[in-house]
Amino acid sequence: MNRMMRASAMTRRLLTRKGALFSLIFLAAITGAAAFADLLSLDPLSQDLVNALEKPSAAHWFGTDELGRDIMARAVYGARTSLLTAAGAVGIAAMVGIPIGLVAGFFGGWRDAVLMRAVDVLLALPGILFAMAMIAVLGRSQTAALIAVGVTGIPSFARVTRAQVLALRKRDFVTAVEAFGGTSTYNMFRTILPNAWSPILVQVVVLASVAILLEAALAFLGVGIPPPTPSWGEMLRTGKSFLYEAPYYAVLPGLVLTLTILSFDSLGRSLTWLLEDRHELVELNVERAKP
Amino acid sequence: MRVGFPCPSRRLLLLAAATFVAAGTMAGTVEAADLKGGRLRVAILADMTNFDPQQFSTVNFPLIKNLYDSLVEYAPDGKVVPSLASAWKIAPDNKSVTLTLRKDVKFHGGTPFNAQAVAATLKKAADPQKGKNVYATMSFIKDWNVVDDSTITLNFTGPAPERQITDLLQFLCVIDPAGIDTVETKPAGTGAYMLGERVVGQRIRLVANPNYWREKEPIANEVIFTIFSEDAAATAALESGATDIIYGGTSRSAVRLKDSGYQVIQGPGPLVQVFRINSTRGPFRNEKFRQAFNYLMDRKGILKVGYAGLGEVVALPWAPASPAFDAAYNEKYAFNIDKGKELLAASGLSPADMSNWKLLVNGSDESTVAISQVVQGSLGKAGVKIELDLQQGAEFIDALLKGRFDAVFGAVGNVQKFPTRVATNSIYRTSNNPILGTPHPHPEYVAAIERVNTTFGPGADVKGAYDNLNRVLVETAFAIPTNSYDVGLIVAAKNVGGFTLDIDNLFVARTVGFKP
Repeated sequence: MNRMMRASAMTRRLLTRKGALFSLIFLAAITGAAAFADLLSLDPLSQDLVNALEKPSAAHWFGTDELGRDIMARAVYGARTSLLTAAGAVGIAAMVGIPIGLVAGFFGGWRDAVLMRAVDVLLALPGILFAMAMIAVLGRSQTAALIAVGVTGIPSFARVTRAQVLALRKRDFVTAVEAFGGTSTYNMFRTILPNAWSPILVQVVVLASVAILLEAALAFLGVGIPPPTPSWGEMLRTGKSFLYEAPYYAVLPGLVLTLTILSFDSLGRSLTWLLEDRHELVELNVERAKP
Repeated sequence: MRVGFPCPSRRLLLLAAATFVAAGTMAGTVEAADLKGGRLRVAILADMTNFDPQQFSTVNFPLIKNLYDSLVEYAPDGKVVPSLASAWKIAPDNKSVTLTLRKDVKFHGGTPFNAQAVAATLKKAADPQKGKNVYATMSFIKDWNVVDDSTITLNFTGPAPERQITDLLQFLCVIDPAGIDTVETKPAGTGAYMLGERVVGQRIRLVANPNYWREKEPIANEVIFTIFSEDAAATAALESGATDIIYGGTSRSAVRLKDSGYQVIQGPGPLVQVFRINSTRGPFRNEKFRQAFNYLMDRKGILKVGYAGLGEVVALPWAPASPAFDAAYNEKYAFNIDKGKELLAASGLSPADMSNWKLLVNGSDESTVAISQVVQGSLGKAGVKIELDLQQGAEFIDALLKGRFDAVFGAVGNVQKFPTRVATNSIYRTSNNPILGTPHPHPEYVAAIERVNTTFGPGADVKGAYDNLNRVLVETAFAIPTNSYDVGLIVAAKNVGGFTLDIDNLFVARTVGFKP
């Protein structure tokens, strides 16, 4: 079975789970709207103070906020903010966390002790507090939020990767590569890492939802991306002041945020279930392990 | 010396106001006779800092006029009425005032109130370390001499306008000399209530002063201030009947509760929101550029978005009770993008220069965040693209007070009193201005303030000085007022009545009681 066929088969199996199917559809819709928001003739910044806090209508499907801005437009552009932050944060966490886990697990000894204690220190700090401290230093911007959320995700990638490396380190195919003269770098990145990808992939999905939630939490606490840039957390923060007059202001963006996080979580669970099929994994591992 | 108001429209306005107040007072008297005592439960949104009446910060507003009395009071229309001073006589040369004090007053500790107590209070107020917010108001006081137990004379450094004198008398709450050193932790006043209990961060309980000198006051036997951390929680408490009054809540909640049938009481001493400009930085050094902002403020939008429409749009830093108030400026400087653009073009600045600044925003204050976005949107329409610089807590306060900003919204107080009192606010200071520096970059403003301070005689002269100050304020345009809004807003249940409106919007509980 070649790689394409195997991927296709796995995707088909994934889609047999209703949760995964709905999650993928929702995430595709959100991602598509965020990516092509400019083509939708939505303006998240245009103010119309005369029509502030209007109820949902044909003109404004989600109603308008206190400045008369279209809430749906802001929710759509807020998706762009959240997804970009999540993608950047996951990228940072993976790029730093995976090498740390690889080195710690592969070499063990003092390298393992030093790296993992550093990770433990990072893990001991509450994520939201650490992110707020970083934003206090870096200032409020999307880049700062992205870095702050990304750094808080490093420990989880490092620990998951290290655990996988420890499980694979003494396997025959790794030993065989070493016997044939494979270098440590080759073994780590070409032999072990390709076989450790399944829990890391799940981690990517899980961290994406955590990153979106954390970004929204930072914005809700008033230290996220500064206005007028749309952000789901900022909309919740402002919308809560208008719960009596305009409940839709906070509820609708909150619903979108909730569904996005649920979709990522559901997708992560489905991936875990799918990737637990060890038979396929072993077959994949042996094929990938050839030097 | 009397300050005149030759403008017929103002005279009519004041007449109408006086009629309204008189009607209100009469109604209040009839109502007061029927009001019943009991325990008055008041929700507040922040704990007090201390019991010193010279620490005139908004968190202390619920307590000051309940624990202490002033020498004189202002009626809501600005008329001076006796309090601890039963009479006052300003010398013909306006260089001194002699006060006749009441003889039937005692402090909470039992010490008699007299001229020595007033002298001790003045000494504290004149001390730059201890005088706190009253210190600046004491600047024109040279010295004082106690004539007898019930008479004291205050001497000034030069002739002082009547309103400036009465402002000081109204600002001075007399403290018991025996408790003056411990007044921050233990109240020592003559007020209608005495401290019963304070649980830090939770509640303050006041009990009626049995020896209070005003007849039939206080009405309520006990006042309990409960501290709520959230406006929504205080609102819910009022709606559930767990509290009788919310003092100092938000305009938005007040408007909603008013629609639900609750009483909303607005005092005569609002704050004025001011778009403060650091005219020593960037494009703001250009006068035409600054003047454009007189037209680029969507004041109605700001009032609606930031304060639920509760307040007035203003182009000058005065409340209607101020003698310098001039409603014509509101019309003249109404929101007008085209006029703003004309002045921007006349400035000769490039679009890049005009957009090369940030608007500092207090990220902890939702109203300010919202109105800053309104300004950002209005400026965007005029071609000035700016960013907001949101800062929190101490970081914001530090930037605000030290002038580390290009522009920022900040409220100013004392806008209902003698016009030069506005110069006690940092952006309007004429000397040692922490934002604009020394020497003051707008000497014409300094001269205008000085002219108001030293103009006596016919009403036309005084009005001329006020008009000149108003003209200079909009021409120098280093501070652009946008709207007044209520500090110390009162929202009350239907069964509570008898509210006394304080000129500074402080909470006065002594006349409040329950309707039968």
